[in-house]
Amino acid sequence: MPTRNKTLKKIQSGRQTRRDWLKQGAKAVALASLPGCNRLVPVGQNAVKVGLLHSQTGTMAISETSLRDAGLLAIEEINAAGGVLGYPIEPIVEDGRSRFLDEFPRKARKLLSEDKVVAVFGCWTSSSRKAVLPLFEKLNGLLFYPVQYEGNESSKNIIYTGATPNQQILPALDWFTNKAGGSLKRFYLVGVDYVYPRTANFIARKYLESLGASVVGEQYASIGQQDFKEIVNSIKQSEADIILSTINGDSNVGFYSELAAQGITADKIPVVATSVGEDELRSLLPSQVQGHFSAWTYFQSLDNPQNKRFVELWQREFGRDRVTDDPIEAAYTQVYLWKLAAEKAGSFDVDKVRKALGGIPDFEAPSGKVKMDPKTQHMFKRFRLGRIRDDRQFEIVHESADWIAPDPYPQMSFPGWKCDWTRDGITQGEPVEI
Amino acid sequence: MFYWIYDIPNWQLAAMISGGFVLVYWLGAIFISPILRRLVRSTSGSNDVVGYILSSFGVFYGLLLGLIAIAAHQNYTDVEEIVAKEAIALSALNQDSKAYPEPLGQNLRWALRDYCRYVIKYAWPLQQKGIVPEGGRVRVTAFHEKLLSFEPQTSREEIIHAETLRQFNHFFECRRMRLQSVTTGIPPVMWYVVIVGAVINLVLVWMFDMRLMTQFTLGGLLSLFLGTMMFLIAAMDNPLRGEVSVSPAAFELVYKVMLDDAY
Repeated sequence: MPTRNKTLKKIQSGRQTRRDWLKQGAKAVALASLPGCNRLVPVGQNAVKVGLLHSQTGTMAISETSLRDAGLLAIEEINAAGGVLGYPIEPIVEDGRSRFLDEFPRKARKLLSEDKVVAVFGCWTSSSRKAVLPLFEKLNGLLFYPVQYEGNESSKNIIYTGATPNQQILPALDWFTNKAGGSLKRFYLVGVDYVYPRTANFIARKYLESLGASVVGEQYASIGQQDFKEIVNSIKQSEADIILSTINGDSNVGFYSELAAQGITADKIPVVATSVGEDELRSLLPSQVQGHFSAWTYFQSLDNPQNKRFVELWQREFGRDRVTDDPIEAAYTQVYLWKLAAEKAGSFDVDKVRKALGGIPDFEAPSGKVKMDPKTQHMFKRFRLGRIRDDRQFEIVHESADWIAPDPYPQMSFPGWKCDWTRDGITQGEPVEI
Repeated sequence: MFYWIYDIPNWQLAAMISGGFVLVYWLGAIFISPILRRLVRSTSGSNDVVGYILSSFGVFYGLLLGLIAIAAHQNYTDVEEIVAKEAIALSALNQDSKAYPEPLGQNLRWALRDYCRYVIKYAWPLQQKGIVPEGGRVRVTAFHEKLLSFEPQTSREEIIHAETLRQFNHFFECRRMRLQSVTTGIPPVMWYVVIVGAVINLVLVWMFDMRLMTQFTLGGLLSLFLGTMMFLIAAMDNPLRGEVSVSPAAFELVYKVMLDDAY
């Protein structure tokens, strides 16, 4: 007891002996040299650096700039509330310049090696993600990727916060082949010629076959193509019941215009798109797209308090004419997920944060409750199908009863393939040619 | 050189500089003044001689201080004008963008809003630390790219587009000038002359043969005024740094209008 009283007195009086100073110094040196502690915040910095890597110029700027804004908005909010683990977040924003194969890897290397960021929130196209992936693995960085994608990929160093095909495309196919969606059987697949539409359609084709439906045609336009006369002619001749469109970017303008020009309206052959959100609808005439569908996990018109708050905040900061969409919501939410994981881990160390991500409680995002699956490092998400209204927003016509577990390797398309990052990582199955 | 002074509040800076001058003077009156007076004591009417020299020196030094204070103020108002011009050019571009077809017009306005928000929220705090902000460049490039993607189809569109491009160039010029101003300030050599002049002033006053309390009072007042002048020049120097600096109010006003327009 006398010793305890002595210590208590010392604490209360604030007096410290030389021995105390030596003890504290030794503790500080020991802590600093422990693995992981060096990733708390580098010496000499009073903020924790994170990277935002999106195209702010070039063809993808129109979509990716909004993701940068969503990330910054979340960071501003977190900083205003006191930061993470007592540190304010310092965003280092880099421009990928829509050059996926050279500029994205160059900027990713800069962020990881020079700026020493503890996490990067970035990319949109699969090409850019695949180009930076080896760097993140080599330098043990952590990339949060916010866009829906084709699956068939998993990396220890990437957290996929967008939807996988089994959370977006396959539930849409289920709905349209069921009674509620009109029991449609003849599907026409159309996309732009690159990795996402090719892989997505490969998965869709296999799934439709398993449902007893048929693919009556499959066509690809080149990136940026505006002339869809031949493709729409082919759709008409195929007598398809429905079109599954993985067309993205500006090509949607040409596609929907041609559909309208040839008299294909939503009541005749509806289109269900996987890359047309509220942001894309700005470029499309409501008269040409009204009644068609989009499959996502989030719509701006979602009626819940978190989303109302998010949309209000977004429009207050950036303007009432700015819209939110699925990738924007994911780009915002993923910053909070990283924050919660860092707080749970008590560190910014990549491995600790990654492990902590799997154990954080369900997070109430604008899209509803979300959580990460530690096995695949993808998110549990709820599927939603929206019908385009004349005010360039969506009427939600269907949503899954509960959230859907992510599956980057649907077995009917990638037999034998699976991933479990809590164990052995990726298990390779049969070779698949797409 | 002494940029840390911009990190402390103005009243503290004023108290520090003015109080520092008075303190140095008082200490000198106790410890240096007796030595200096010994140097001039042999001359009859030493106070008169020191008085003449102090008066003539004071004229030159006063002129120097006045001119430098005016130069600092001029720098400040110049930068204020540059900032106002950039904000006005931004506002004009926003107005011009309304003449473009949608969704290009909207995309142009979003890009301008993005730039304006960046300047207020991110660039200004950096400028106040003396750092030239980099993030505006990519936003300007994004706007310029979008603007150049437009191909006028009618003579009306041609005129509007040409005028918008001209306005953009003006905006770009103002922006460059603002960035240039981040490191604008009185050259170090001038500060050197000002400080040496102030020290000579104090030395001359120390040479007066006066009672200690008179030294403290009269010399203290002179030192206080010298310190206040130094504070004034230091506070107004580097117009984008510290508390007495050009504010982003012009941009805030434009941003508010842009947001109001967004309905």
